[in-house]
Amino acid sequence: MTTRDKDKEALSALMDGESQELELRRSLDSVENDDALRAWWSRQQQVSEILQSQRSSQTGLDVSARVRSTLASQPQFQRNPLRSMAIAASVTLAVVMGGQALLPTADLAPAPLVSDIGGAVVPVIGAQPIRASFDARPVPVSTQPPQAQGTGARQAAAAYERLARDRYLRLGAQHARAAALNHPAPFVHSMRAQTEPPLEVQDSK
Amino acid sequence: MVTASETDQKLVQRARRGDLRAFDLLVLKYQGRISALVSRYISDPGEVEDVTQEAFIKAYRALERFRGDSAFYTWLYRIAANAAKNHLVAKGRRPRSDASIEDAEAFDEFGLSSDSGSPEAIAMGDELVSVVDAAMQALPEELRAALTLRELEGLSYDDIAEVLGCPVGTVRSRIFRAREAIDERVREQISGGSGFR
Repeated sequence: MTTRDKDKEALSALMDGESQELELRRSLDSVENDDALRAWWSRQQQVSEILQSQRSSQTGLDVSARVRSTLASQPQFQRNPLRSMAIAASVTLAVVMGGQALLPTADLAPAPLVSDIGGAVVPVIGAQPIRASFDARPVPVSTQPPQAQGTGARQAAAAYERLARDRYLRLGAQHARAAALNHPAPFVHSMRAQTEPPLEVQDSK
Repeated sequence: MVTASETDQKLVQRARRGDLRAFDLLVLKYQGRISALVSRYISDPGEVEDVTQEAFIKAYRALERFRGDSAFYTWLYRIAANAAKNHLVAKGRRPRSDASIEDAEAFDEFGLSSDSGSPEAIAMGDELVSVVDAAMQALPEELRAALTLRELEGLSYDDIAEVLGCPVGTVRSRIFRAREAIDERVREQISGGSGFR
Protein backbone atom coordinates (compact mmCIF):
# COMPACT_ATOMS: atom_id res chain seq x y z
CA MET A 1 0.00 0.00 0.00
CA THR A 2 1.38 3.39 -0.97
CA THR A 3 1.57 6.41 1.30
CA ARG A 4 -1.22 7.96 -0.73
CA ASP A 5 -3.40 4.90 -0.16
CA LYS A 6 -2.67 5.02 3.57
CA ASP A 7 -3.70 8.67 3.61
CA LYS A 8 -6.92 7.83 1.80
CA GLU A 9 -7.65 4.93 4.12
CA ALA A 10 -7.16 7.26 7.09
CA LEU A 11 -9.59 9.74 5.53
CA SER A 12 -12.03 6.90 4.93
CA ALA A 13 -11.86 6.02 8.62
CA LEU A 14 -12.29 9.69 9.52
CA MET A 15 -15.46 9.81 7.41
CA ASP A 16 -16.84 6.99 9.51
CA GLY A 17 -15.90 8.53 12.84
CA GLU A 18 -13.37 5.71 13.36
CA SER A 19 -10.26 7.88 13.37
CA GLN A 20 -8.30 8.35 16.57
CA GLU A 21 -6.85 11.72 17.55
CA LEU A 22 -3.33 10.94 16.37
CA GLU A 23 -4.55 9.64 13.04
CA LEU A 24 -6.84 12.65 12.66
CA ARG A 25 -3.85 14.91 13.10
CA ARG A 26 -1.92 12.97 10.48
CA SER A 27 -4.86 13.18 8.10
CA LEU A 28 -5.05 16.94 8.52
CA ASP A 29 -1.33 17.19 7.89
CA SER A 30 -1.56 15.09 4.75
CA VAL A 31 -4.60 16.85 3.34
CA GLU A 32 -3.32 20.36 4.00
CA ASN A 33 -1.31 20.79 0.82
CA ASP A 34 -2.65 17.96 -1.27
CA ASP A 35 -5.49 18.99 -3.55
CA ALA A 36 -5.88 15.44 -4.85
CA LEU A 37 -6.57 14.17 -1.34
CA ARG A 38 -8.98 17.03 -0.69
CA ALA A 39 -10.77 16.16 -3.92
CA TRP A 40 -10.92 12.50 -2.89
CA TRP A 41 -12.49 13.47 0.44
CA SER A 42 -15.00 15.71 -1.34
CA ARG A 43 -15.98 13.02 -3.85
CA GLN A 44 -16.39 10.46 -1.11
CA GLN A 45 -18.80 12.76 0.70
CA GLN A 46 -20.91 12.95 -2.44
CA VAL A 47 -20.80 9.19 -2.96
CA SER A 48 -21.77 8.64 0.68
CA GLU A 49 -24.68 11.05 0.28
CA ILE A 50 -25.88 9.19 -2.82
CA LEU A 51 -25.57 5.78 -1.18
CA GLN A 52 -27.59 6.93 1.79
CA SER A 53 -30.22 9.04 0.07
CA GLN A 54 -30.20 7.97 -3.59
CA ARG A 55 -29.94 11.64 -4.40
CA SER A 56 -27.16 14.07 -5.16
CA SER A 57 -26.87 17.72 -4.22
CA GLN A 58 -24.04 18.35 -6.64
CA THR A 59 -24.07 21.89 -7.97
CA GLY A 60 -20.58 21.90 -9.46
CA LEU A 61 -19.58 24.66 -7.08
CA ASP A 62 -16.32 24.72 -5.15
CA VAL A 63 -15.87 27.56 -2.70
CA SER A 64 -13.39 25.74 -0.47
CA ALA A 65 -10.30 27.46 -1.86
CA ARG A 66 -11.90 30.90 -1.52
CA VAL A 67 -13.06 30.22 2.01
CA ARG A 68 -9.66 28.89 2.97
CA SER A 69 -7.74 31.83 1.53
CA THR A 70 -10.16 34.35 3.04
CA LEU A 71 -9.84 32.86 6.50
CA ALA A 72 -6.09 32.46 6.21
CA SER A 73 -5.54 36.01 5.01
CA GLN A 74 -7.55 37.79 7.67
CA PRO A 75 -5.88 37.79 11.08
CA GLN A 76 -9.14 38.41 12.92
CA PHE A 77 -10.33 35.00 11.79
CA GLN A 78 -7.32 33.29 13.29
CA ARG A 79 -7.97 31.85 16.66
CA ASN A 80 -5.52 33.29 19.15
CA PRO A 81 -3.88 30.61 21.27
CA LEU A 82 -3.45 33.25 23.98
CA ARG A 83 -7.19 32.99 24.52
CA SER A 84 -6.73 29.42 25.65
CA MET A 85 -3.84 30.56 27.82
CA ALA A 86 -6.07 33.21 29.38
CA ILE A 87 -8.66 30.59 30.19
CA ALA A 88 -6.00 28.28 31.61
CA ALA A 89 -4.63 31.13 33.70
CA SER A 90 -8.11 31.87 35.01
CA VAL A 91 -8.59 28.26 36.03
CA THR A 92 -5.19 28.17 37.73
CA LEU A 93 -6.03 31.39 39.50
CA ALA A 94 -9.27 29.89 40.76
CA VAL A 95 -7.38 26.84 42.02
CA VAL A 96 -4.85 29.03 43.83
CA MET A 97 -7.62 31.13 45.35
CA GLY A 98 -9.43 27.96 46.35
CA GLY A 99 -6.24 26.73 47.99
CA GLN A 100 -5.97 30.00 49.88
CA ALA A 101 -9.49 29.55 51.15
CA LEU A 102 -8.55 26.15 52.52
CA LEU A 103 -5.62 27.55 54.45
CA PRO A 104 -6.13 27.52 58.18
CA THR A 105 -6.03 30.78 60.03
CA ALA A 106 -3.04 31.62 62.20
CA ASP A 107 -4.74 30.61 65.40
CA LEU A 108 -6.01 27.37 63.93
CA ALA A 109 -2.88 25.93 62.33
CA PRO A 110 -2.88 22.26 61.36
CA ALA A 111 -1.74 19.78 63.91
CA PRO A 112 1.06 17.49 62.82
CA LEU A 113 -0.04 13.92 62.50
CA VAL A 114 1.82 11.50 64.62
CA SER A 115 1.49 7.75 64.55
CA ASP A 116 3.08 5.04 66.59
CA ILE A 117 4.17 2.99 63.58
CA GLY A 118 7.39 4.93 63.20
CA GLY A 119 8.76 7.33 60.60
CA ALA A 120 8.31 11.05 60.19
CA VAL A 121 4.91 12.42 59.27
CA VAL A 122 4.88 15.56 57.14
CA PRO A 123 2.34 18.13 58.24
CA VAL A 124 -0.02 18.99 55.39
CA ILE A 125 -1.51 22.43 55.48
CA GLY A 126 -5.26 22.38 55.27
CA ALA A 127 -5.44 18.61 55.72
CA GLN A 128 -7.63 17.26 58.46
CA PRO A 129 -6.58 14.26 60.51
CA ILE A 130 -8.48 11.09 59.81
CA ARG A 131 -8.51 7.75 61.51
CA ALA A 132 -7.48 4.70 59.58
CA SER A 133 -6.38 1.19 60.34
CA PHE A 134 -3.14 -0.60 59.57
CA ASP A 135 -3.75 -4.31 59.54
CA ALA A 136 -5.98 -4.93 62.51
CA ARG A 137 -4.29 -2.24 64.59
CA PRO A 138 -5.82 1.21 64.69
CA VAL A 139 -3.46 4.08 63.86
CA PRO A 140 -3.72 6.76 66.50
CA VAL A 141 -4.09 10.32 65.32
CA SER A 142 -2.59 13.21 67.13
CA THR A 143 -4.98 15.52 68.87
CA GLN A 144 -2.37 18.00 70.00
CA PRO A 145 -3.76 21.47 70.66
CA PRO A 146 -2.69 24.24 68.23
CA GLN A 147 -0.40 25.91 70.71
CA ALA A 148 1.61 22.70 71.03
CA GLN A 149 2.87 22.75 67.46
CA GLY A 150 6.41 23.83 66.71
CA THR A 151 7.74 26.67 64.64
CA GLY A 152 8.31 24.31 61.68
CA ALA A 153 4.63 24.20 60.81
CA ARG A 154 4.31 27.96 61.08
CA GLN A 155 7.33 28.44 58.82
CA ALA A 156 5.86 25.99 56.31
CA ALA A 157 2.58 27.87 56.34
CA ALA A 158 4.34 31.19 55.84
CA ALA A 159 6.42 29.82 52.98
CA TYR A 160 3.33 28.41 51.30
CA GLU A 161 1.51 31.71 51.61
CA ARG A 162 4.48 33.57 50.14
CA LEU A 163 4.66 31.16 47.19
CA ALA A 164 0.91 31.36 46.64
CA ARG A 165 0.98 35.17 46.74
CA ASP A 166 3.82 35.35 44.22
CA ARG A 167 2.07 32.89 41.96
CA TYR A 168 -1.21 34.79 42.26
CA LEU A 169 0.42 38.06 41.23
CA ARG A 170 2.30 36.46 38.35
CA LEU A 171 -0.76 34.66 36.99
CA GLY A 172 -2.92 37.74 37.48
CA ALA A 173 -0.62 39.82 35.31
CA GLN A 174 -0.40 37.05 32.73
CA HIS A 175 -4.17 36.71 32.67
CA ALA A 176 -4.62 40.47 32.22
CA ARG A 177 -2.19 40.54 29.31
CA ALA A 178 -3.78 37.57 27.57
CA ALA A 179 -7.30 38.87 28.12
CA ALA A 180 -6.31 42.30 26.82
CA LEU A 181 -4.94 40.79 23.62
CA ASN A 182 -8.26 39.10 22.95
CA HIS A 183 -10.48 42.00 23.94
CA PRO A 184 -12.34 43.97 21.21
CA ALA A 185 -10.68 47.14 22.57
CA PRO A 186 -7.20 45.78 23.17
CA PHE A 187 -5.44 49.13 23.40
CA VAL A 188 -7.33 50.32 26.46
CA HIS A 189 -7.00 47.04 28.26
CA SER A 190 -3.40 46.56 27.32
CA MET A 191 -2.68 49.96 28.81
CA ARG A 192 -4.51 48.98 31.95
CA ALA A 193 -2.64 45.72 32.12
CA GLN A 194 0.66 47.52 31.79
CA THR A 195 0.07 50.52 33.98
CA GLU A 196 -2.06 49.31 36.84
CA PRO A 197 -0.10 48.29 39.90
CA PRO A 198 -0.35 44.64 40.85
CA LEU A 199 -3.15 43.75 43.14
CA GLU A 200 -2.00 43.68 46.71
CA VAL A 201 -2.87 40.62 48.66
CA GLN A 202 -3.44 40.90 52.35
CA ASP A 203 -1.00 38.87 54.27
CA SER A 204 -3.06 36.65 56.47
CA LYS A 205 -0.41 36.59 59.09
CA MET B 1 -23.59 2.86 15.65
CA VAL B 2 -21.24 5.61 14.53
CA THR B 3 -22.76 8.68 12.96
CA ALA B 4 -21.34 11.28 10.63
CA SER B 5 -21.96 13.88 13.31
CA GLU B 6 -19.16 12.35 15.39
CA THR B 7 -16.73 13.12 12.61
CA ASP B 8 -18.18 16.61 12.39
CA GLN B 9 -17.81 17.02 16.12
CA LYS B 10 -14.13 16.12 15.99
CA LEU B 11 -13.51 18.51 13.12
CA VAL B 12 -15.52 21.29 14.75
CA GLN B 13 -13.55 20.92 17.97
CA ARG B 14 -10.30 21.34 16.09
CA ALA B 15 -11.65 24.20 13.99
CA ARG B 16 -12.72 26.00 17.14
CA ARG B 17 -9.11 25.84 18.28
CA GLY B 18 -8.07 27.56 15.05
CA ASP B 19 -7.32 24.57 12.85
CA LEU B 20 -8.32 25.83 9.41
CA ARG B 21 -7.54 22.42 7.89
CA ALA B 22 -10.31 20.84 9.93
CA PHE B 23 -12.74 23.55 8.85
CA ASP B 24 -11.62 23.05 5.26
CA LEU B 25 -12.73 19.41 5.44
CA LEU B 26 -16.12 20.55 6.71
CA VAL B 27 -16.40 23.01 3.82
CA LEU B 28 -15.50 20.28 1.34
CA LYS B 29 -18.04 18.01 2.93
CA TYR B 30 -20.97 20.39 2.97
CA GLN B 31 -20.43 22.91 0.20
CA GLY B 32 -22.52 20.88 -2.25
CA ARG B 33 -25.54 20.77 0.03
CA ILE B 34 -25.19 24.37 1.15
CA SER B 35 -24.83 25.71 -2.39
CA ALA B 36 -27.87 23.61 -3.41
CA LEU B 37 -29.79 25.25 -0.59
CA VAL B 38 -28.65 28.76 -1.53
CA SER B 39 -29.50 28.17 -5.17
CA ARG B 40 -33.08 27.65 -4.15
CA TYR B 41 -33.21 31.24 -2.97
CA ILE B 42 -30.95 32.84 -5.55
CA SER B 43 -30.75 32.04 -9.25
CA ASP B 44 -27.58 33.82 -10.30
CA PRO B 45 -24.67 31.32 -10.09
CA GLY B 46 -22.15 34.02 -9.15
CA GLU B 47 -24.32 35.21 -6.29
CA VAL B 48 -24.89 31.63 -5.17
CA GLU B 49 -21.12 31.18 -4.94
CA ASP B 50 -20.69 34.44 -3.02
CA VAL B 51 -23.46 33.68 -0.55
CA THR B 52 -22.23 30.11 -0.05
CA GLN B 53 -18.76 31.41 0.71
CA GLU B 54 -20.20 34.04 3.03
CA ALA B 55 -22.20 31.38 4.88
CA PHE B 56 -19.10 29.30 5.60
CA ILE B 57 -17.11 32.33 6.75
CA LYS B 58 -19.95 33.37 9.04
CA ALA B 59 -20.09 29.84 10.38
CA TYR B 60 -16.38 29.85 11.13
CA ARG B 61 -16.65 33.16 12.94
CA ALA B 62 -19.59 31.84 14.96
CA LEU B 63 -18.05 28.45 15.78
CA GLU B 64 -17.50 29.42 19.40
CA ARG B 65 -21.23 29.86 19.76
CA PHE B 66 -21.96 26.41 18.35
CA ARG B 67 -22.89 24.40 21.42
CA GLY B 68 -23.49 21.10 19.70
CA ASP B 69 -27.15 20.98 20.74
CA SER B 70 -27.99 20.24 17.12
CA ALA B 71 -26.00 18.59 14.37
CA PHE B 72 -23.36 20.79 12.82
CA TYR B 73 -25.06 20.60 9.44
CA THR B 74 -28.39 21.76 10.87
CA TRP B 75 -26.66 24.73 12.45
CA LEU B 76 -24.78 25.47 9.24
CA TYR B 77 -27.98 25.16 7.24
CA ARG B 78 -29.65 27.89 9.29
CA ILE B 79 -26.68 30.20 8.83
CA ALA B 80 -26.76 29.64 5.07
CA ALA B 81 -30.53 30.14 4.84
CA ASN B 82 -30.24 33.40 6.77
CA ALA B 83 -27.33 34.54 4.61
CA ALA B 84 -29.41 33.91 1.49
CA LYS B 85 -32.42 35.73 2.92
CA ASN B 86 -30.29 38.69 4.01
CA HIS B 87 -28.69 38.80 0.58
CA LEU B 88 -32.11 39.05 -1.06
CA VAL B 89 -33.27 41.72 1.39
CA ALA B 90 -30.11 43.75 0.77
CA LYS B 91 -30.71 43.54 -2.96
CA GLY B 92 -34.39 44.39 -2.53
CA ARG B 93 -35.33 41.16 -4.26
CA ARG B 94 -37.62 38.26 -3.63
CA PRO B 95 -36.64 34.59 -3.73
CA ARG B 96 -36.75 32.74 -7.02
CA SER B 97 -40.33 32.28 -8.16
CA ASP B 98 -40.02 28.50 -8.13
CA ALA B 99 -38.70 28.23 -4.57
CA SER B 100 -40.46 29.56 -1.53
CA ILE B 101 -38.63 30.01 1.75
CA GLU B 102 -40.82 27.38 3.38
CA ASP B 103 -40.11 24.94 0.58
CA ALA B 104 -36.40 25.51 0.79
CA GLU B 105 -36.47 24.99 4.52
CA ALA B 106 -38.35 21.71 4.21
CA PHE B 107 -35.17 19.76 4.00
CA ASP B 108 -34.48 16.21 4.90
CA GLU B 109 -31.48 14.93 6.80
CA PHE B 110 -29.31 15.29 3.72
CA GLY B 111 -30.35 18.87 3.17
CA LEU B 112 -32.14 18.03 -0.02
CA SER B 113 -35.64 19.05 -0.92
CA SER B 114 -37.67 16.77 -3.12
CA ASP B 115 -37.11 19.18 -5.98
CA SER B 116 -33.49 20.16 -5.79
CA GLY B 117 -32.10 22.69 -8.21
CA SER B 118 -32.38 23.25 -11.92
CA PRO B 119 -33.44 20.57 -14.43
CA GLU B 120 -29.82 20.31 -15.55
CA ALA B 121 -28.61 19.80 -12.02
CA ILE B 122 -31.30 17.22 -11.40
CA ALA B 123 -30.34 15.33 -14.56
CA MET B 124 -26.66 15.47 -13.63
CA GLY B 125 -27.47 14.26 -10.13
CA ASP B 126 -29.59 11.39 -11.44
CA GLU B 127 -26.82 10.30 -13.75
CA LEU B 128 -24.34 10.34 -10.88
CA VAL B 129 -26.69 8.26 -8.78
CA SER B 130 -26.83 5.69 -11.58
CA VAL B 131 -23.05 5.57 -11.87
CA VAL B 132 -22.62 5.11 -8.13
CA ASP B 133 -25.25 2.37 -8.06
CA ALA B 134 -23.56 0.58 -10.94
CA ALA B 135 -20.16 0.90 -9.26
CA MET B 136 -21.62 -0.49 -6.06
CA GLN B 137 -23.08 -3.49 -7.84
CA ALA B 138 -19.76 -4.18 -9.55
CA LEU B 139 -17.91 -4.48 -6.23
CA PRO B 140 -16.76 -7.88 -5.00
CA GLU B 141 -19.23 -9.24 -2.47
CA GLU B 142 -16.95 -8.85 0.56
CA LEU B 143 -16.32 -5.17 -0.23
CA ARG B 144 -19.96 -4.41 -1.01
CA ALA B 145 -21.11 -6.06 2.22
CA ALA B 146 -18.71 -4.03 4.33
CA LEU B 147 -19.62 -0.72 2.67
CA THR B 148 -23.35 -1.48 2.80
CA LEU B 149 -23.24 -2.21 6.51
CA ARG B 150 -21.36 1.03 7.06
CA GLU B 151 -23.24 3.41 4.76
CA LEU B 152 -26.74 2.00 4.82
CA GLU B 153 -26.90 0.39 8.23
CA GLY B 154 -24.61 2.87 9.97
CA LEU B 155 -22.76 0.14 11.86
CA SER B 156 -19.45 0.80 13.54
CA TYR B 157 -16.33 -1.02 12.41
CA ASP B 158 -16.52 -3.20 15.52
CA ASP B 159 -20.08 -4.22 14.74
CA ILE B 160 -19.29 -4.87 11.09
CA ALA B 161 -16.34 -7.02 12.13
CA GLU B 162 -18.67 -9.05 14.31
CA VAL B 163 -21.26 -9.42 11.56
CA LEU B 164 -18.73 -10.41 8.92
CA GLY B 165 -16.58 -12.45 11.27
CA CYS B 166 -13.33 -10.73 10.44
CA PRO B 167 -10.88 -8.40 12.22
CA VAL B 168 -11.65 -4.69 12.53
CA GLY B 169 -8.56 -3.89 10.47
CA THR B 170 -9.96 -5.98 7.63
CA VAL B 171 -13.25 -4.09 7.82
CA ARG B 172 -11.43 -0.79 7.64
CA SER B 173 -9.43 -1.98 4.65
CA ARG B 174 -12.45 -3.39 2.81
CA ILE B 175 -14.44 -0.20 3.25
CA PHE B 176 -11.55 1.85 1.94
CA ARG B 177 -11.05 -0.46 -1.05
CA ALA B 178 -14.76 -0.31 -1.83
CA ARG B 179 -14.69 3.47 -1.76
CA GLU B 180 -11.58 3.57 -3.89
CA ALA B 181 -13.17 1.26 -6.47
CA ILE B 182 -16.29 3.43 -6.64
CA ASP B 183 -14.15 6.53 -6.87
CA GLU B 184 -12.41 5.20 -9.95
CA ARG B 185 -15.77 5.04 -11.73
CA VAL B 186 -17.21 8.37 -10.58
CA ARG B 187 -14.02 10.45 -10.52
CA GLU B 188 -14.33 11.85 -14.01
CA GLN B 189 -17.99 12.60 -13.63
CA ILE B 190 -17.66 14.48 -10.35
CA SER B 191 -14.40 16.16 -11.34
CA GLY B 192 -16.08 17.50 -14.45
CA GLY B 193 -18.64 19.36 -12.42
CA SER B 194 -17.00 20.26 -9.16
CA GLY B 195 -13.99 22.17 -10.25
CA PHE B 196 -11.58 19.60 -8.82
CA ARG B 197 -8.96 18.23 -11.13
